[in-house]
Formats: sequence, C-alpha cells, structure tokens
Amino acid sequence: MPRPQHNTITFTIDGREVQAPENAMLVDAAKHGDVEIPVFCYEPKLGNPVGACRMCLVEIEGIGKLQTGCSTPVKDGMVVHTQSERVKEAQRSVVEFLLINHPLDCPVCDKGGECPLQDISFGWGDGISRFIEPKRHFVKPLELSPKIAIDRERCILCYRCVRFSQEVSEDYQLVLLERGAHSFVSTFDGHPYVAPFSGNIIELCPVGALTSRSYRFRARPWDIEDAGSVCTLCPAQCNVSLTVRDERVMRVLARENDEVDDGWLCDHGRFAYPALARGTSSAEAGGDRASQVLEQASAAGNGHPPSAEPPTAPNANPHGVHVGMRVSEPLLRDGGELRPVSWERALEEVAAMLERAGARTAALAGSGATNEEGFLLSRLMRETLGSPHVDSRANGALALELQRALAEPRLQAKVSDLEFAHGVLVLDCDPLLDAPILDLRLRKGARRHGLEIERVAGENLRAMREAALRLSEAGAELVILWGERFGAGSDGEERVRALLALAEELSLGEIDGAGLLEIPATSNGRGLRESGVLPNCGPGLSEGEQDGLDTHAIAAALASGELSALYLLEVDPLGRDDPFAAAAASGSWADALARASAVVAHATLLSQGLAEHANVIFPAGPYAEKEGTVTHPDGRVQRVRRAAAEAGLTRSGWRVIVELSLRLGTDLDVRTEKEASRQLFEAVPFYAGLTLEEIGGRGVRWQERELVAVSGEPPARGDERA
Amino acid sequence: MTDMLLFKDIDEPGLKTLAVYEARGGYDSLRKALALTPAQVLEQLEASGLRGRGGAGFQMGKKVSFLPQGSMEKYLVCNADESEPGTFKDRELLQKNPHVLIEGIAIAAYAAGTDRSFIYIRGEYVLQADVLDAALAEAREAGYIGERVLDSDHSLTLVVHRGAGAYICGEETALLDSLEGKRGNPRLKPPFPANQGLYQGPTLINNVETLSTVPSIIALGGEQYAKIGVETSTGTKLVSVSGHVQKPGNYEIELGIPSREIIYGLAGGPPEGREIKCWFPGGSSAPVLTPDDLDVPYDFDSVAKAGSMLGSGAIIVVDDSTPIVDLALKVAKFYRHESCGKCTPCREGTNWTVKMLERIDSGEATPMDLDIMASVQEHIIGNCLCVLGDAMAMPIGSMIAKFREEFEEHIEQARVRQELAAHA
Amino acid sequence: MPERASGWDRASDPEKDPALIPDPATTEVPPELRKRIEDAMTLYPERHSAAIPALHAAQELHGWCSPEAIEQVACVMRVTPAYLDSVASFYDMLEKRPVGKHSVYVCTNISCSLRGADALLAMVREHADDDADFNVRSFECLGACDIAPMASVDGVYVGPLEPSDVPQLLDDARAGRPVLPQKQLATRLVADPNANSQEFPAHAPEEARR
Ligand SMILES: Cc1cc2nc3c(=O)[nH]c(=O)nc-3n(C[C@H](O)[C@H](O)[C@H](O)COP(=O)(O)O)c2cc1C
Ligand code: SF4
Ligand code: FES
Repeated sequence: MPRPQHNTITFTIDGREVQAPENAMLVDAAKHGDVEIPVFCYEPKLGNPVGACRMCLVEIEGIGKLQTGCSTPVKDGMVVHTQSERVKEAQRSVVEFLLINHPLDCPVCDKGGECPLQDISFGWGDGISRFIEPKRHFVKPLELSPKIAIDRERCILCYRCVRFSQEVSEDYQLVLLERGAHSFVSTFDGHPYVAPFSGNIIELCPVGALTSRSYRFRARPWDIEDAGSVCTLCPAQCNVSLTVRDERVMRVLARENDEVDDGWLCDHGRFAYPALARGTSSAEAGGDRASQVLEQASAAGNGHPPSAEPPTAPNANPHGVHVGMRVSEPLLRDGGELRPVSWERALEEVAAMLERAGARTAALAGSGATNEEGFLLSRLMRETLGSPHVDSRANGALALELQRALAEPRLQAKVSDLEFAHGVLVLDCDPLLDAPILDLRLRKGARRHGLEIERVAGENLRAMREAALRLSEAGAELVILWGERFGAGSDGEERVRALLALAEELSLGEIDGAGLLEIPATSNGRGLRESGVLPNCGPGLSEGEQDGLDTHAIAAALASGELSALYLLEVDPLGRDDPFAAAAASGSWADALARASAVVAHATLLSQGLAEHANVIFPAGPYAEKEGTVTHPDGRVQRVRRAAAEAGLTRSGWRVIVELSLRLGTDLDVRTEKEASRQLFEAVPFYAGLTLEEIGGRGVRWQERELVAVSGEPPARGDERA
Repeated sequence: MTDMLLFKDIDEPGLKTLAVYEARGGYDSLRKALALTPAQVLEQLEASGLRGRGGAGFQMGKKVSFLPQGSMEKYLVCNADESEPGTFKDRELLQKNPHVLIEGIAIAAYAAGTDRSFIYIRGEYVLQADVLDAALAEAREAGYIGERVLDSDHSLTLVVHRGAGAYICGEETALLDSLEGKRGNPRLKPPFPANQGLYQGPTLINNVETLSTVPSIIALGGEQYAKIGVETSTGTKLVSVSGHVQKPGNYEIELGIPSREIIYGLAGGPPEGREIKCWFPGGSSAPVLTPDDLDVPYDFDSVAKAGSMLGSGAIIVVDDSTPIVDLALKVAKFYRHESCGKCTPCREGTNWTVKMLERIDSGEATPMDLDIMASVQEHIIGNCLCVLGDAMAMPIGSMIAKFREEFEEHIEQARVRQELAAHA
Repeated sequence: MPERASGWDRASDPEKDPALIPDPATTEVPPELRKRIEDAMTLYPERHSAAIPALHAAQELHGWCSPEAIEQVACVMRVTPAYLDSVASFYDMLEKRPVGKHSVYVCTNISCSLRGADALLAMVREHADDDADFNVRSFECLGACDIAPMASVDGVYVGPLEPSDVPQLLDDARAGRPVLPQKQLATRLVADPNANSQEFPAHAPEEARR
C-alpha cells in the first residue's frame, strides 16, 4: 500500500507565513511555526480526530464559526489566528467548563506536575472560576483493574481511554456509560479491565483519572528522572522511558518510536519490570492475581503469557536463598546447597571449572543478553577455551547459507511494513504472545489500510504457499511474519528453503514494503546470532574455523558425558517460560544438567532449575541495569541504557566474561562497555563503522546504512522511508 | 387558502391502507417519476424550492444534487425522530398517511440514485411505527418497494428502524451513528452525510414532512409548487401549535401568512382573559418572540429576520400566567437531559445553566448571576460539536435579554421569601 | 433526572474475569430471543445496526436490560457486553434497572407542563409509585402536545388528561384493557378545520389499541 506522502504548503498563522505538510491537522501544522494549540482529546495514535473537547478552537479567515484545529486539515494559503480575542475567550471558556467538575486535589494527584489539564489551565485558562455551585464528589480512587485505578471525579471525558480500548487494542471492554453530564468511563457490570495493552490508557489520560496502582504515590514528577532505554523482555524491543527515583525504576513508560512500537507498550513490558528487579518475595508467592487474570485472558485468546516466572513457595534454605528471589550476589553450591560467596571466590571457582572442562565446555546465550555479552561469550569460548559449542538458537542451528539468505537486506521487511503491506502471512507465530506490540501494528494495518492477514502453521508447506498466493492477489506488497520455531526440527531446513523459494517466487526481495520478518525465540535472538553466538559461524555470519554443536546436540553431549561443563548466559533450560526449555525434547535438559560436572549461570531471578543444578550463579541485572546494544528482529541496532544502579553485587555479564578470560590466560582487551561495543562493531562486517552516537535514541537499521551486506553485494534498498 | 397538499383527505377513514390511498391517486406520482430520468426528477425538486422541514431549512433539491454520482452504495434516511419539544406534525402524517411518505421516499431515492433506504422513527412512536410497518408490507406486496419497482430497473429496500429515546438522535449525524448501532453521538462535519454518511456511504437525510411533500411536487410540477408560499419559502407547511392556545393541534398553512393568523385565527389564541407573554416560533430551540412579533410573516427568512427561526414549524404559546424562570428552567433541564455529553461546552454548559437557574429560583442568586448566565450562553453558542448546545443557549439567551426585569424581580422576591423563612 | 448516575461510585471486581465476547458454548440464549436478534441483523448491511432492536427484544423478554440480558444479546451479536451496555445506557427507553411491567411515561416538557403536566405526574406517582407493577417516569416531549397534558401508557398515547383520569387509567392498564379508549390519540382528528373534515364528519373513531 502506498505510504501517505505530503507536499509542502504555505499558510499564515498569527501573522507569520509557515511551511507545513499539506492536510496536516492545524494543531500539528502550527508546530512548524512554533505555535502551540492546546488539545485534550486529539491524539492521532487513536485514529481520526473526534473534536470533542473543543480546546483547540481557532479562527480561520473566511469561516464564520471558530474551527477545531485538531480536525481541520491545513491548506495552502489558509490564514489562521490563535491569539485573537475571540479565540482566547473560547479557550478560557472551555477551560472554565472543564474545571467546573474537576476536583482541586492536585496536591495529592499522581498526575500533578505532568498534567496537561494543569498546564493548559495555567497557559490558556482564566485563573478564576465563576462556578460557585458545589462540585460533584464520588468515591475515589476505585479499582478499574488489578493494575489501574480510576478517579471519576477527575475525568474530563476526553474519550482517549475508551477510544484506545475500542479502536486500538480493539478489546472493547472500556466504554462510556450513561449520557451527557452523567457520562462516565466504565467496564461492563463491574468486570475488571484486563487486556494485553490496558496500561496504555494510564499514559493517554490527560488528567489523573487513570493511574497505575503500583505507581500511585510512589513519586512526584520533580523527584524523578527519566531515562530512555529499550525493553528486552520480548523480541519486540519496544522503546521505553524509565521513571527512576533513588536509582530504582518506579515505572515504565512508552518512548514513542514509530518504526518500532508506534508509541505503545504491552502490559507485560509496562508492569513486569519491578518484579524482575526486586524479585518476587515469598509474601507475593501465588498471590499475584493480576498475572492469573492475564493467564485467563490469554487462555481466552485475548491475553498475554504470564509475566516473569511466578514464585513457588520458598524452599527451606538456611541462607534465605529461595526460588523467585532476585540474585544480587554470587552464589556457590557448597555441600549441595547454594550459598552467597564473594566475587573473588566465585570467579576463582568458575575459572577452575572452565580450566578443567576446557574445550568440553558449551555455552548458551538467551533472553536479555546484549550483543556485546554474546560477542564476548563466543570469544571466551572460541579463543580462550577453544570450544565452538556456543548457541543462541533455542531451536537448534540452521545451515549457514540459509542464515545468510534469510539475512539478505533486500528480503528484510521492517515493522512499519506490517502496517502498510497489502497482506501479511503470519507463519508459525502468534504476535500477541511472541511480540505483542506487533499485534497492534497488524490491527492498525487492517483497520486503517485494509491490510489482509492470514495465519498458517508451518508443518503444511502447501497451505503456506497457497495462503501466500491468495494474499498476493490483494497486492504485491506481502510480508511473511514467521516465528523461529518454523525452522525447528529435522525438516526445519527443508521448510526454510521452501520459505526462501516462496519469497523468490513472489519476488518479495524486489518489492518495496514486501519481505520476510522473523520473530526469534529470544528477545535479542537476531543480535546474538549476528554477534557470533552460533556454532556454525563467527560474528556477522562469517565462516567459522570449526563447527560446534548446537543447542540440541549440546544437551545430548552433556547427557552422554561427551561435554562436561555448561555456561548459561541468561538461559534457564528448565525455566517455565524459557524458549530453550520450550524447544528442548522433554527431559533431555534435566539429564544434561544432572550429568554436567559444572553448570555456571548468569541469572537475575533464581529459578527452580538453577536452584537444583547450578554450581555457580552470577548475579545478572535486568535491562535497566545494563549498558550495551541489542538488534531488533528487523535489523535495527538499538541501545540499552543503564537507568538504575546494579542491585547488590550485580555485575554486567561482559565484565564477568572478560575477567574469567583473563584468569584463564587470554586478555579479550576490553575494559569498558564502549570498548566492548567498538570491538563488536569492528567484528561484524555489516555493523562496520557504527557508533553508539549514530545509534542514538532511535536505533539504526543496518540494512539502511550504505555498506556491504551479508552476501557481499551492497544492499538493494537504501534508507528510503527511513 | 390554497388547497391542502399534506392534509388532503388526512382524516378519510382507512387512508393509511393502500386501497384508499390508491383510490385517492396514491403512487401516481411514483409512476410519473419513474417515467422520467432521475435527473429530470431532480430538476422538479430543485424547481420546487422545497426547503427542509426538519429544522435546518436547507433546500432539498440542492441536497440531493450534492450526492456524488457513481456506483458506490448510497443511502436514503428518513428522519422520523421528531423530538423537538412542541413538534408533532410528522406524527400525524406517519399515523394517518404512511403511504405518502413511502411514495416520497421511493421518488427521492430514484432521484438520488440510491437503492437502500431507512426510516429512523423515535421509539416512543409505537402506533406510528406499527402503521408504517403495515403500510410498508402492502407497498412491498404491490411492488412499490423492492426489486425493480413497478418493473422499472430501479430497486429499493426500505427498513423501519425504531429508536430508543434520545432527542439528539434527531440530529442527522447522531442519527446515523444510532442507526449504525452506536450511542447517538453527533459526528464532526465535514465530512457531510452527502459525502460520507451511513456506513461511510453517501447519504441523503430528509425529514418526514419534506419527503411526504415530494409526491405533491411531482404531481403539480416543481414550478407550480414554487408558486405556493413566498419566494424563499415555497409551498405549504405543517405547523404544530401547542401550549396556551384554545385549539392546539396541527395546521397546514401556506408559508408567509402572518403568525397572528396561525396563533389566533387557527389555534384560537390564548384562553379567555389571558395575554400572550412570549412564543417559540420553531420549537423550544428557537429564541422566543413576543406579542410585538405576532405580525411577522411565518416563513423561514422573515422569522429569521425577527431574530428567531422557523425550525421544525412548532409554535409554542406561553401566556402571562407563566413565570419566565419556570419556562427557562424547563427548557434548560430538557437540553441538559438530552446533551449527549460528547463535547465540553454543551455537556458542562447545559448542566451549569440549570444549576444557576435553580439558584435563581430558590433565591440564592444575585442579578450578577444573570450576567454570568448570559455569558455562559454566549460561550456555548457556536463552540459546540453540534447545535444542541446552541439550541438551549439561544432561547435562554433570548429570555434573559427580553425578560431581564422579570428575572431580577424573581430573584429579589425569592430572596425576600428566603429571609422571611429564615427569621420565621 | 437523578443528580447522580448510579455506577459513578462502582469499582471493578478484580475477582471477576474480563468481560469478553460471550462464549456461545456457555451462554444460554432463549431461542425466540436468538431468532429475533438474528432476524434483525439480516436487515442491515452491518450487524451492529441491530443493537437497539436487539436490546428492545431482550428488554421485552427480561423486563429490563439486565446484565444477563445484555450478555445474551452480546453472545448472538458477537460483540462485547460493554459495547451493548454503553448503547443501552444512552437511551431513555432502555432500562438499566428492574422496573414494573407497565410503563407510564408522563410528558412533563414545556407544552404539557403549561397545561398541568406536573399536577398530573404527581397524581400518577401518588397512585402508582408503590405499585411494583408500574414504571412511572417523567418524560421529555413525547410529540403529542396537541393532547397535552398527556401520557404514554405501555406505548399508547392518551390525553388530554385530568388528574381525575388517573385511577381509571391505572386500572385499565392493570386489567389489560384498552387505556381510556375515548382519550386515545389514535381516535383523534386533525385540528385543522380546513383539513376536509366537512367531507369526513367526525367518524367513528378507529377502535382503540391496547
Ligand atoms: C439537536 C437537533 C435535533 C434535531 N431533531 C430533528 C428531528 O427530530 N427531526 C428532523 O427531521 N430533524 C431534526 N434535526 C435536523 C436534522 O439535523 C436535519 O437537518 C434534518 O433531518 C434534515 O432533513 P430536512 O432537510 O428535510 O429538514 C435536528 C437537529 C438538531 C441539531
Ligand atoms: S478517564 Fe482520562 S482518558 Fe478517559 S475520558 Fe476521562 S479524562 Fe479522558
Ligand atoms: S483537541 Fe480538538 S476538540 Fe479536542
């Protein structure tokens, strides 16, 4: 589908000539002239303007009535006034009307200090109200869901939250009841508003009517800092803004990046973080109603996978080490029990274990591991220990030539293609569960641009091809969104070949806006592969000297005693939600871990599996305690920024790996995070010349940079539309 | 007095049945129209100068001509929500002569090139909706509605859709949302229904009386019809007269006759010994006029010139026994109750106005409150999403302007009463 | 109109599940209701248009738009209950609370109140308020100001009414008889003297409706 493109026009606002894209709404066009038109209900992310709040009234020469700037497309030669007495009076009156029933509880309101109603009242209001009747009062705040509180007194009926529920997440659970001055926001018959993306309404609300129950009263805007980063809880890698107080993350907000998340966050990403950072105390054990409800919703095909591993009852460990807790200091198994030890002791022990195992060591990297951590891990394995047995693919290796073919820049679809394509074939994945934010993108495409979507399971290749051909009748721009598991199993490679053939047949590589987009099993799956965490190639999918064993083979080799040590970088092969566990043949990992002479793990939370099998556990940080880069499934290299202090004795994975390597006699020659990144960029041909500055806050798709691609030829597509 | 057009034979027993209607020449106009091209029918409508009878008074022919040509699905919607206080003219037609409406719809649909039509009738009109359903069944049976109407290649479906009680659903875009099964919230305009209406398709919306007039126009010819009435307000008009008159009811008048003739001549004026205090010329949304305005010719432009509007053609007469505050309160409460709540000035403004009037009534106000109330009305007018807000603000504003002394006396007396009560 | 809408102070119950589109497997829908809703949906290009007819039907069956009624409609229409609740609560004729089976809407808008509607309403309330069979409501203009003051009794328009008419009006409704036959709108001639009423002298009124 052709992307909308606008030619520039010139219009006059408050006496100044301003250039703006034709048909942009006046409130947006005005910004090009640094004129701010106040709005409440206008939010383009929610679809067409509704013109309800009337805050944006402006005067347009030639039109008698004042017009709503949020719904009036700018035309060439238009003459607009936002400062005339008429406009000012209208603005003052709208503010006065809105404040009639708005309580004066700003001092105890979470929104205070970051509240559009406060700002607009201050900037455009009259300062005094002529309304002397008693204000209405309701019970407040009320529970709207386990996560969200509602304060109906404060609601100014801007319709944002209900429009989100109805027109964006399309769950249609949140509605307006009654009519006129009696209207109020509610759900049906006291049911909770539980949906995969419900938390976004908190950010959408322009007043303090919808607040996060976990954040309520936690902090005031003036004693917090915002830090931009990337959520690495799933492959969608949404951009987030972390609200930090006293070095702790208090809440997670969206940090709009149209090319990644369109400005939305899923509830998992928004609400799961604190549990991750703090660990789930035994008090909360089993008491997490929210995640239970979410599971029900997801069972109803409308929800989200349960958040971080729910705690089981603490096991009786005298050292207070229990499953579900945040690992904040090194743990060493001693007399069958994990005990806290010093870093020195832990490193010493591990160095010794690895020394002993040498080339019979295997390593896996997963979940939140950064590119740098993966890159250094594979160096530790290959250069220091001489072992090629490293993998980051939960589903096992793919032939190198296939991996390269799949990574071809011209074949690579990007997130926004999902919205504007004619058709999307969803193959062996469930966006809502595997990369939730992409589900919203698909809905948007269907709703706004008539995108057609078909879902097929990969085991039937004929069905796959037929579905693709059906879709391609709607138009040439076809994107195949496929899950890593499609390439799993003995016939995985055959299937991938069929997929590539299909792409060739439909010449997806030649068509703008068409292509393939893989959802890897782990959050940074693509980045780890490109950083060289694969048994059959080096960084940048380069030819490796010697092929190693892949995930499945490693499990088998450990079980058979062929391999002796296992190094786990944020992988828990027995973990309930861990893709490595999901992909494994049942039982195999249990035997493998039981047989392994040494199991070393970097972990944030203590899981059942690690509690039973790990010999040493290094405390690893969740993403807000990390610095480094990750690579989005569409090739966008993004920066993860440290926002909070490392809890307890937590240490970044890269430091630990470098230290171990040194103790084993090889200096990886990395002293700082920046050096780690620089080494990575040098090692990966298609990251060559990349700098952290260039990546910046928005990330960079390496396919859109002018340089040599995987195959050797320059990428067919430059950064058009970028 | 010209001949009746809409009320001709209106009380003939059984007129609502097809047999009687046909015996009186019913559906001849449809035959005549189908013999012409849609463009020719449209010419007749434009020539007639017929202005919409629902409230806005927009020329019907023009509206039809706004519909885009082309094969896209278009719709015709008849607005039978008749909820403007004081208005009950459509009811009379629906109940007693449903076929003239069905015939009018069939002709208009032919001219507009639509093959799907709906009648949105207010839910309270149970009898009228039942009558319509019965008539529609007959009309289908006889081939006036359905596939290939009268063997022409024009087809038309017609569905009677019953509302559920909401004045705002008379507003054309709110009506469309309601007909689509949503809350009856007005839409932003543009886009106008003629371009993007029902189910996003081009849509012609007309009032019951407007559409019921179409067969007469085809019968007489547009030119002839235009000779009735005055230049900018052609034809006859049904007027609903109610309130303090001796003979309340519907009257068919030729547009342009003096208002006095309607209120006194036809409706018999106020009860013995009472004087008219004020009157609404076009439903409760119209600014009130006073006895001084009784000689204003009753047509769209003259009434507008007098500072009010013809609206739906509903005259409500209020005599001198009624306190103006009571009247204002009734009006304000109605619009507060009916405000859909979508836009701020209407939702909050109607609510605030009622509260102020209640204070005035109970003696807790000062004359200054009148100024505040007046300015609140000004802040509503022109700033809302639709004109429901204005529909309260204009009459209330006119009452404050024209009866300020009475408001002030009322405030003073109420205050005194209060104090006495307090000391007693 | 109540000064507070009920529900303003209502919280969600986190113990409940989210209200999704009801599952046909577990939602009992009376066959006759299902039929009426499905028939209604066929009349429109877009099934949502059947919302109001469907809610009318459900209200006839259940007496009001109860949560159960709304869930049944939602199940047949394949929409969320919240969608229908939002629609139902917008319209005056759809009841969100249990009400008596006989509705008496007394018009208290301008024209009727100018002619004594408020006294009439008081009388009706006096006689019917504590009778659980009646749903007495003060209503906005019902479009019958020519018979002011008037009321709509179970959908039948009657007027002009004297307070003294009230007892019989209620009795007729209770007994299921035509309500005040001689005062039903259905029997009334057009007021306009020129509307050929000389040609059709006051003829026998059409038989009154129930
Ligand atoms: C608040 C409001 C209520 C209205 N109610 C009605 C109504 O009950 N019946 C009607 O025909 N038009 C009503 N209208 C006018 C319609 O919006 C529309 O102009 C009319 O139906 C067009 O038909 P016409 O051109 O034949 O008059 C109302 C308008 C407003 C703003
Ligand atoms: S709760 Fe907030 S977002 Fe929702 S309508 Fe009210 S003010 Fe707007
Ligand atoms: S922002 Fe324009 S009406 Fe609300």
